[in-house]
Amino acid sequence: MTASTAQTLVWDWTIRLFHWLIVLLIPLLWWTAEEGMMDWHRRLGLTMFALVLFRLIWGIVGTWTARFVPMIRRLGSLPAYVRDLIARRNGPSFGHSPVGSLAVFALLAALSIQVGTGLFSVDVDGLESGPLAILVSFKTGREIADFHELNFDILVVLIALHIIAVAIYRFALKDDLVRPMVTGRRGDLEPVSTVKVNPMALIASVVIVAASLYAVINAG
Amino acid sequence: MKILKVKIAVPAIAAVMMLTACGDNGGSEAAPEASSEAAGAQLPNGMTIKEQIEARQSQLEKVGDAFKAISDQLKAGTPDIAIIQEAAAVVPEATQGMADWFPEGSGPESGIDTDALPAIWENMPDFQEKVGNMQEAAANLNTVAQGGDMAAIGEAFKTTGGTCKACHDDYRLDD
Repeated sequence: MTASTAQTLVWDWTIRLFHWLIVLLIPLLWWTAEEGMMDWHRRLGLTMFALVLFRLIWGIVGTWTARFVPMIRRLGSLPAYVRDLIARRNGPSFGHSPVGSLAVFALLAALSIQVGTGLFSVDVDGLESGPLAILVSFKTGREIADFHELNFDILVVLIALHIIAVAIYRFALKDDLVRPMVTGRRGDLEPVSTVKVNPMALIASVVIVAASLYAVINAG
Repeated sequence: MKILKVKIAVPAIAAVMMLTACGDNGGSEAAPEASSEAAGAQLPNGMTIKEQIEARQSQLEKVGDAFKAISDQLKAGTPDIAIIQEAAAVVPEATQGMADWFPEGSGPESGIDTDALPAIWENMPDFQEKVGNMQEAAANLNTVAQGGDMAAIGEAFKTTGGTCKACHDDYRLDD
């Protein structure tokens, strides 16, 4: 580690904010659903919708470490990376490692499905429903709600795997991944690309998210 | 446990159905202890248990449709009162005679897919009272809906929804 690389920025502030807001939102969404606080479940769910949509857009127009294409390319070196991990020859990755890329795709897919099904879900009494449930019948809305519930279990399993993996990195491989997700920086690698938020890309993304949110809320 | 039950129930239902196809089954009583056979046997009202369960599910699905239609309109910026009135009229009609939809033997012990909990038959007077509360609230909702006062409709809808929930909390399998 040299002084010049001690400040290498790997995660831009939007990625970090997205990550920790999701950590906060998922337990709240689970709890409001369990308690039948559906007004809050809807509000928080719409917040989650906005966050996930932003992240998907940011995966296309965002900073290098947020983008999906480099992550897809890295999947190619997955077998070699895993062999190195097992032999404990792991080195730091600038951005998502091949295994990390896999986790991002799985988690984002599960989150997208969760948010998407939530929009159309209907409760057993036909009293409560997602903002787009007006577009489907009671029966379809119920089936979607059942899937919403099943997919949550899948999401929980993926989150558990994610936490276990981070713990393995921390304790077995001596690589702290949590701190960089807070500070955005890690000190032991050279940057592949600068991780600087482009204001125009950010504004465009936020405008698309806001317009989508408006459309969903006013769909009825 | 549940899977095992289903595995036994399926051939048993098939066997009973073959029997009923051959012989006169008119006077047979549904024996609660012979659970899997009960599924195809006739109830005093002439329906098989399977038919009874499917009939009540179909009726309650109509109520779900109607409730969702009202809920959709109440959430909309410009609610269509005609849709609300039509849906509100469906509920009392669709739930007429509901107290008779849960004869002995038509619970999960029949082996047929139902979310009705055994608690219904253990607390029949309470269950009947809750069904009555719902019918009363639904009749009131219909009256209020035909009146056209949106604020009053919203209130009556909430009250009726509460009576649905009251029953579902205790007597319906939480999914």
